[in-house]
Amino acid sequence: MASERTMVKPQKRSFGEWAASRDGQKVFVMTLFMIVPLLLLFVFTYLPFAEMFGFSFYNMKYLGARKFVGLKNYIKVFERDDCFGALKLSLYYMAGSVVQLVLSLYLATMLSFKVKGGNIFKGFMFFPYLINGIAIGFIFKFFYTRGFVFDTVLQWCGFELENLPYWLKDQSINNISLVGTSVWRYFGQNMVLFIGAIMSVDAELYEAAMLDGANRFHQFKYIILPSIKTIITLNVILSITGSLSAFEPPYVITSGANGTGTYFVIMHEIAHTQQKVGLASAMAVILLLIIFVATILQKLFFKYVFKNAEDEDKNAAAKREKKLAKLAAGKAGK
Amino acid sequence: MKRKKVLAVTLAAAMTLSLAACGDSQETPAPAEPAAPAAEEAAPADSGDAAEEETPAAEADTATTGVPSYSQVKVGEDYTNLTATIKWLHHKTDRAEDGTIDQMIADFNAVYPNIAVEAEAITDYAEDSLLRLSSGDWGDIMFIPAVDKSELQNYFMPIDTLENLSNEINFANIWEFGGQSYGVPYMANAQGVLYNKAVFEAAGITTLPKTPTEFIDALQKISDNTDAIPLYTNYAAGWTMGAWDAYIGVVSNGDNTYMNQKFVHTAEPFKDPGDGTGIYNLYKILYDAVDKGLIEDDYTTTDWEGCKGMLNRGEIGTMVLGSWAYAQMVEAGDHGEDVGYMPFPMSVGGTQYALAGGDYSYGINVNSSDENKTAAMVFIKWMTEESGWCFNEGGYTVKKGGQNPDMYAAFDGATIMSDEPSIAGEETYLNDMNAESELSFNAGGNTKVQRVVEAAATGAETYDDIMSDWTEAWNAAQEELGIAVTN
Repeated sequence: MASERTMVKPQKRSFGEWAASRDGQKVFVMTLFMIVPLLLLFVFTYLPFAEMFGFSFYNMKYLGARKFVGLKNYIKVFERDDCFGALKLSLYYMAGSVVQLVLSLYLATMLSFKVKGGNIFKGFMFFPYLINGIAIGFIFKFFYTRGFVFDTVLQWCGFELENLPYWLKDQSINNISLVGTSVWRYFGQNMVLFIGAIMSVDAELYEAAMLDGANRFHQFKYIILPSIKTIITLNVILSITGSLSAFEPPYVITSGANGTGTYFVIMHEIAHTQQKVGLASAMAVILLLIIFVATILQKLFFKYVFKNAEDEDKNAAAKREKKLAKLAAGKAGK
Repeated sequence: MKRKKVLAVTLAAAMTLSLAACGDSQETPAPAEPAAPAAEEAAPADSGDAAEEETPAAEADTATTGVPSYSQVKVGEDYTNLTATIKWLHHKTDRAEDGTIDQMIADFNAVYPNIAVEAEAITDYAEDSLLRLSSGDWGDIMFIPAVDKSELQNYFMPIDTLENLSNEINFANIWEFGGQSYGVPYMANAQGVLYNKAVFEAAGITTLPKTPTEFIDALQKISDNTDAIPLYTNYAAGWTMGAWDAYIGVVSNGDNTYMNQKFVHTAEPFKDPGDGTGIYNLYKILYDAVDKGLIEDDYTTTDWEGCKGMLNRGEIGTMVLGSWAYAQMVEAGDHGEDVGYMPFPMSVGGTQYALAGGDYSYGINVNSSDENKTAAMVFIKWMTEESGWCFNEGGYTVKKGGQNPDMYAAFDGATIMSDEPSIAGEETYLNDMNAESELSFNAGGNTKVQRVVEAAATGAETYDDIMSDWTEAWNAAQEELGIAVTN
């Protein structure tokens, strides 16, 4: 006990004295400050999760009697076509998140150097992230409607309406349309995070690199990329996790119909329309496990990739040394 | 240290309490189904004070107690000198505010000057009325809330025998128990199909289609002869697709016990009966219409708000929606007179059936004095026959042979029925089957109807594939729930 350790006087203090003392107060304050966040975390995160984990072993509705069924719900999730079939749609969203990250990294790099009206661009590109996801859904519902915004814009560019596909009806592209809205919404946010990280890179490094003859691409590859690898890792993990649990675009724009029902939408349908709470809880637990696995794999992947990047750095340094040595030798030869 | 322990114990207690609050789920009945009257749901807490000095024995002739039955009252002739003050609880706050209720009571007093009616409108009626009912002191007339039918006689007096009342009004069976009817609905709705009269005329459709084949032909004519969309599916909104489920009972087979009693026990409910009826042919209409291109161009971007004006203006030929949608379509533009409502195009043995359901029903307090009961009976009958309330609300007539609003003009040849409630002890079967099979008929099962549209549009599945899938799910659910299967 902290109180006992700091007790220097041999005589015993009563509890009242201890509580009034500095040590006692310290312990009280610490406990009180800890209790609030821990209680919130417990009540709103861990407790509901534990409840849900418990639900996944029952055959139950929101109301009425429950029946313990053991692992039957988990087996059902694997047996049903729609649950894991829906995970295939996540591949669309993952591909989308790669596009999104590359795009935002590119723009972030551009905008972190001197660009005319840079802040305006930043503002415009970040703006979609501020709009409510439901509102975005409604915007894009009209955007993709036959003969509405998107088709009109494409017609200005010379496309014929007859040659344009039905963006939401055609099952071969409707998922791509939906992923498009998600990319549009989130790339600005990723970009701002990247800009923030790039800002923290010491500007002298660029100058020094420039003196060494590094062009913009070299600067990006050898200075920016290694410096912001933490934030890149974070963004990639968040995006991939987000793709596994994509919900808003398919739910609002197509209500998961016409082959656009992602895992989350299917789960929502099972939990709320069919009221198979146990099955939906099992789906949620399985999704959590999948996300864990995906995150761990990505962590390992990045560990490998960035280790190499650092090695390359060393190689580059060695090369530079060689070059310098040659130059020096050349000069000496003159 | 002691205080720490106290703190810990208090915290633990608080958490246990909150746990108990979270985990505790009473056995409450499942939510009411939209189509069925919420009859057998939610028994109110047994009120101890329902003292029954005059328990209405089911067979007792009500006339002997001095109170006339519904069929014995002649509106405008009897009891015009009766003096009484009766109190009436109702849920129509909107009509109380706009003066309709007061006006009706004033009209009533023109004939019965000595019967004073105090009306009280309750905002949260479904819940508050149950509380008032259990307190016992609520007045003389109220719209019967969700009480168990077996409890009816503890709170309400029989209006009449089912037999006699059936001669007087439609939907006499909503609050029937032991051969006695305890309630008279104030209005009712009948389910059919919305159409645009001008479009039908322009397309050269002279008689309204009565069978699926005739309906598809009519849609084809609209497609050939006009620019209107023959059938607007409202696919994107989802729930509008679920509206097709409303016709699987009475409309598709003319049997008013099917929906709540037989459906769950049927082995192959989605089999083609071969005569253009049944659930098979109901959704087949949708499939065929999509297959033949008789719906909107891009069904994934349909717009519910927009479709109202389109039907009104004659850009849409037909829409499959409940009668409640009629008023909205009429109000959505300048051509309200073009909006029509017809029975669902399906005939069973040459007759078209339409599903109708009564709204809230008047009930009379069993503990009121004889004078008040008599006055209440007179009031109810006057409201049903003379007030014109049901008509003004656009409802299907409650009085037998009463005048219907124009929207029901096309229903004249059709037989109007309402679903019989489920058999005692099987009340939860339909909900259970809906959830287990995930087909959710009349309970938000929009996905399965959307699937019909998708299948027809993309050719990914044949109609029979879908039906056999549904049958499989239905049979698996019957097995899982242990529900007896008959034919």
